[in-house]
Amino acid sequence: VTFRSKLFLNFMIALLLAVGLVAAGVTVVTRRVFDEMNAQHSDAMVQQFQHEFERRGQDVAHRVKAIAEEEATTRMAVDLSRPNADVSVYVHDARGVSSSHQLNFLDFVGNDGAIISSQEYPARFGYKLPWVTQPDDWAARGAFLMKVETDQGPALGLMAVSTVRVGDRDLYVVGGERLGKEFLGSLVLPADMRALLYLNLDAEFQEPNLIDDKGPAPDADRFQRIVEKIEADPVEQTEKISWGFDPSNAEVFHALPLMGRQKELLGVLFVGSSQKTVVSLERRIRWLALGVGAVGLLLGLLLSWWGAARVTRPVQKLVVAAHEVSHGNWNARVDAHGNDEIGQLSKSFNQMTTQLVEQRERLVQVERVAAWRELARRLAHELKNPLFPLQTTVENLQRAREQNSAQFDEVFRESTGIMLGEIDNLKAIVSRFSDFAKMPQPELTAVNLNEIVRTVVKLFEAQFGAVGRPPITPELHLEENLPVIQADATLLHRAIENLILNAMDAMPAGGVLMLRTQKIEGGVSLEVSDTGTGLTPEESERIFTPYYTSKQHGSGLGLAIVQAIVADHGGRISVESESGVGTSFHIELPALPPHKPQVFPMVFEKKEDEA
Amino acid sequence: LLRRLAATSLAIVLLLAVLPARSARRPRYGGTLRVEIGTAVPSVDPDAPTITPEQTSTKIQIDSLIYESRDQDGTFNGDSGSGPFKILSWQPGKQLTLQANEKFGNGRPFVDSIEITMGRAFHDRLLDLELSKTDFTEIPAQEARHAVERGVRVNQSQPDELLAVVFLEPRARPTARQALSLAIDRSSIVTFLLQKVGEPTGALLPQWASGTSFLFSTAADVPRAKELWSQITPSPTFLLGYDSADSLEQSVAERIVVNAREAGISMTAVAEALPGATLHGSSPAQKTGAATKTARPAWPVDARLVRVAMSSPKPVSALNDLLLTFNSLAGGGISASPLRDLSSPSDIYEREREILDTYRIVPLVWLPQVYGLSARVRNWIAPLPGQTWPLADVWLDTDDKSTDIKDR
Repeated sequence: VTFRSKLFLNFMIALLLAVGLVAAGVTVVTRRVFDEMNAQHSDAMVQQFQHEFERRGQDVAHRVKAIAEEEATTRMAVDLSRPNADVSVYVHDARGVSSSHQLNFLDFVGNDGAIISSQEYPARFGYKLPWVTQPDDWAARGAFLMKVETDQGPALGLMAVSTVRVGDRDLYVVGGERLGKEFLGSLVLPADMRALLYLNLDAEFQEPNLIDDKGPAPDADRFQRIVEKIEADPVEQTEKISWGFDPSNAEVFHALPLMGRQKELLGVLFVGSSQKTVVSLERRIRWLALGVGAVGLLLGLLLSWWGAARVTRPVQKLVVAAHEVSHGNWNARVDAHGNDEIGQLSKSFNQMTTQLVEQRERLVQVERVAAWRELARRLAHELKNPLFPLQTTVENLQRAREQNSAQFDEVFRESTGIMLGEIDNLKAIVSRFSDFAKMPQPELTAVNLNEIVRTVVKLFEAQFGAVGRPPITPELHLEENLPVIQADATLLHRAIENLILNAMDAMPAGGVLMLRTQKIEGGVSLEVSDTGTGLTPEESERIFTPYYTSKQHGSGLGLAIVQAIVADHGGRISVESESGVGTSFHIELPALPPHKPQVFPMVFEKKEDEA
Repeated sequence: LLRRLAATSLAIVLLLAVLPARSARRPRYGGTLRVEIGTAVPSVDPDAPTITPEQTSTKIQIDSLIYESRDQDGTFNGDSGSGPFKILSWQPGKQLTLQANEKFGNGRPFVDSIEITMGRAFHDRLLDLELSKTDFTEIPAQEARHAVERGVRVNQSQPDELLAVVFLEPRARPTARQALSLAIDRSSIVTFLLQKVGEPTGALLPQWASGTSFLFSTAADVPRAKELWSQITPSPTFLLGYDSADSLEQSVAERIVVNAREAGISMTAVAEALPGATLHGSSPAQKTGAATKTARPAWPVDARLVRVAMSSPKPVSALNDLLLTFNSLAGGGISASPLRDLSSPSDIYEREREILDTYRIVPLVWLPQVYGLSARVRNWIAPLPGQTWPLADVWLDTDDKSTDIKDR
C-alpha cells in the first residue's frame, strides 16, 4: 500500500465521517423540527377543539335557556306547580321541543327530580335524576360533559341545565348535544389530521366506543393502552401509533382527557397527525442529503486524490532519488520548493547526497593515496630485495678490485652472475606490474560458466591431491540448465584460477573447496568457498586492493585481477569470511554485460557472529 | 241547602227537557258516509289472499257490509251485495264505494252510500276529521286524548284488547318471570303512554266482563322484584320482542325495559318485523280474532309483548279463546283446556289465577277501541268484542253542528 493510497484512504475516511456526521445532524435536526411542527399542529387542533367545545357549550347553554324562557315551558311550570298536576300531559313534549331547538338530549325534570319528559329516553318518565336537584348554580355553571342514559345505551353529552321557578317549585330543563361522530365531523381538520373520540362510558375499554366522524373507528384496540394510561392519570398524552412497517403510515396522537362535572373521565379526544407528509419530507431531505453527500463524496474523492497526489509527489521524488542513491547514483537530486516539511526534507536530501558525493570523492582520494602508498611500499619491498644483493655484490667487486685480488675475476664472474639474477628479478617484478596494468578488455562470446568451472577444477586436480601436502577436496554444486552468458572465457578462466589458488593458499592444512553455480535474475552466480583460515575484517575490506596481500610471498594482484575481470563483465564480487572457518567469494555475472562496464563498489559483508 | 236543591232540580228538569228532544229526533235516510282507514285492502274478492293481519281484519269489516250474514266460524254467507251494501266502485287499495242495498232483508241502511278511502295515515285522518272531510275513522288508543284536545269527537268501546307479556317456554324461570311482573309499573303505562286511556290490569279478563279483575294486583313492587331477581344465578338477560310496526308496543316495551333495569333485571327490547306489515297508525281493533296473532313467526326472544283482542263479550268464551291464543303465542305450555259455558264467576277467577300464577302471561293493560266521528254521525254504537262496525245503523244529521266529543 503506497503512501498516497494511505493518505487518500485517510482523506476518504475523514470525508466519510464528516458527511456522515452532517447527514446525521441534518436528520436529527429535521426530525426535531418536524416533531415540533407536529406538536404545534396538535396543540392548534387541541386549542381548536377546546374553543369549539367552549363555543358549543355556550350555544347549548343558550338554547337550553331559551327553552326555559319559552312561554310553553313557563305554562308547563305553572301547571306543574299546582297540586295534583297531571304530569302525563307533557310526556311527549321533550321530543318536539328538542327537535325545534336542535338538541340531541332534552329532559323536563320536576321539582322532585322526576323526569316528566325525556327526548333521549322517552320511556324513562317518572324516574328521578337526583343530580339535577342538588344545590348548584346552573346558570353560572354553563355547559358540562355528562354521561347521558338513552334508550340506545349511554352516550356522552355536552349538557346544560336551566331552571324555571314558579313559586317555590322548580322545573328543570336539562338539554344538550351528543358528542359523537357528528361533533367530530364538524371539526375542521387539515388533510393529514383526524380526530377520534373515545367515549368512556363503560367500566372497561370497549372498542366500539372509539369513534371517528363516520362511526366506530377501526383498529380501536391500539388505543386501549393510551386510554388506560389516561384513566390512571388524566393528563394530556402524546403517543405514536404505527399502522404497519411503512413509517409513513404512522400517526402521532395527542390525547386530551375530557372530564365531567365531578372530575370523572368521560372521554378522550385523540387528535391524530399523519406522518405521511413528515416522512415524505424526511425522505426527500434524506435523499437530497444523500445526493449532496454522494456529490460531495465524489468531489471529495477527486480532491482527496488530487491532494494526496500533490502531497506525495515530492515524497515520491524523494523515494525515486533515494532509490537511485541506493543503487549508486549519488548524484540524484530532487526539486526543493517551499519551506514546508517536504521542502526542507528535499533540501536535506540534496544536501545529504552532495555530502555523500564529496565524502566519496574524499574517500576515493584517500584510498588512492593509500593505494599509492601500498604500491610504493610493495615496490620498495620488491625492489629492495634484489637491490640489496646488487649493492653487496657491487661493493664486493669494488673491494676485490681495490685489493687486486687474484680472485677478482672469479669474484667478478660470480658478482655479475648474481647481479644479472637480481636484474632478472627486477624485470620480473616490473613485468607483473606491467601485466596488471595491461589487463585486456573482455571479448564477449557465449560461454557456459559450468564448463569453465569444470575445466579449471580439472587443471588443479593434481595439485589438490599432490604428494607432500594435505589434500584438498573439491565439491562442485553446479546448477543444471545454467543459462549461457556473454563473457570472455579466458578472463573468467583466469579469475577462477586466481580464486582457486587463493583458496589453496588459505588451506595449508587441507580442506574442502566448494564451487557453486546458480541461476539468478538476469544472469548467473558463482560461489567459491574454502574452509581455510579465513580473513580478518580489515583484510576483508582491503583484499581486493591491488598489491595488498596477507601472504608472505603474494604479489597482491590476484584478487585485484579477479575484481577487475568481474567488473569488466558488468558483474559484482563480494566476500564473506570468518576467521578460522573459511572464506566465500560470491560473483554475480549478468547474462549480457552492459555496453560500458560499470564499476561496482566492493561489498564487504560480515557474518552475524563477527558483528 | 234548599237553594242548592232547587237549583239542581231546575237543572235536571231543563236537561230532561232537552235530551228527549234530541233522542226523539227521527233518523234520516240519505247521505254518504265517508270512512277513512289506514289499511289498504288489495282485493274484495272473498277468495283473494290477504297479506297482513291488518288487511284481513279490515277486509272482514268490509265483507260484513256487503254480505248477508256471518257464521260463528267467521264465514260470510250469501253473495257479494247481499248484505246492507253493494259495491258501486272499487279501486284496489285506494277507494271503495258502497251503495245501500234497497232489498236488504234487515232493512235498507240509513245512508245511501259509504266511501271508504284506504291507506290514509293517522295524522291525515285526524286532520280530515277536524276539517269535516271524513265522518268515521279509527284512532290509536294512545292518541285519543290528543284527538280530544284537538276537538275531535271521539268514541271508545269497552276495553276489549289485552296488552300483555307472554313468556316463551321454557326460556325463563318462574322466579324471573315473577320478578319482571312485579317490576312493571302498569299505571304509568296507562297514565303516560296511553294518556289515561285503558285500564291497568293483572287479570286475563277486563273488569266489565268478569267483575273480578280488581282482585289481581297491578301495583309494582320493585324491592320484591329485586329480591327475587337476586336469587337467580346466573342472572339471565331477557329479550323482549315487540311488533316493530306498532308504535304503542314499542313504547310500552321500552318502558318495561326501563322498569326492569330499575329492578336490576337485565332486559333488552327487540323489534320484530312482521312481513308485509304496513300499519299507518291503525287501531288494533282490526285485529279481530286470535287467528291473526298466530301468524307471527317465531323469534329468538324470551318474551313477547302482544295485543290480543277479546273474541266475545261472554267471559267464558273470551277466556277460552284468549288462552288458546296465548298458548299458541307462547309455543305451548299454557293450560288451554276450555271452561264450561256455565262456569261460575268463581270458576273463571280460579282459572285466571291458576294461569297467572305461572307468570307465563303478564297482563298489563286492557285497551278500548277508539273511533273518531264527525259531528253529523248519529246512532254510532261501538261494537262489542267479536262484532263488526255497525255502519248500516248509522245515519247522518246534516243540520246538527254540535260537537259531542264523547259519545259513550
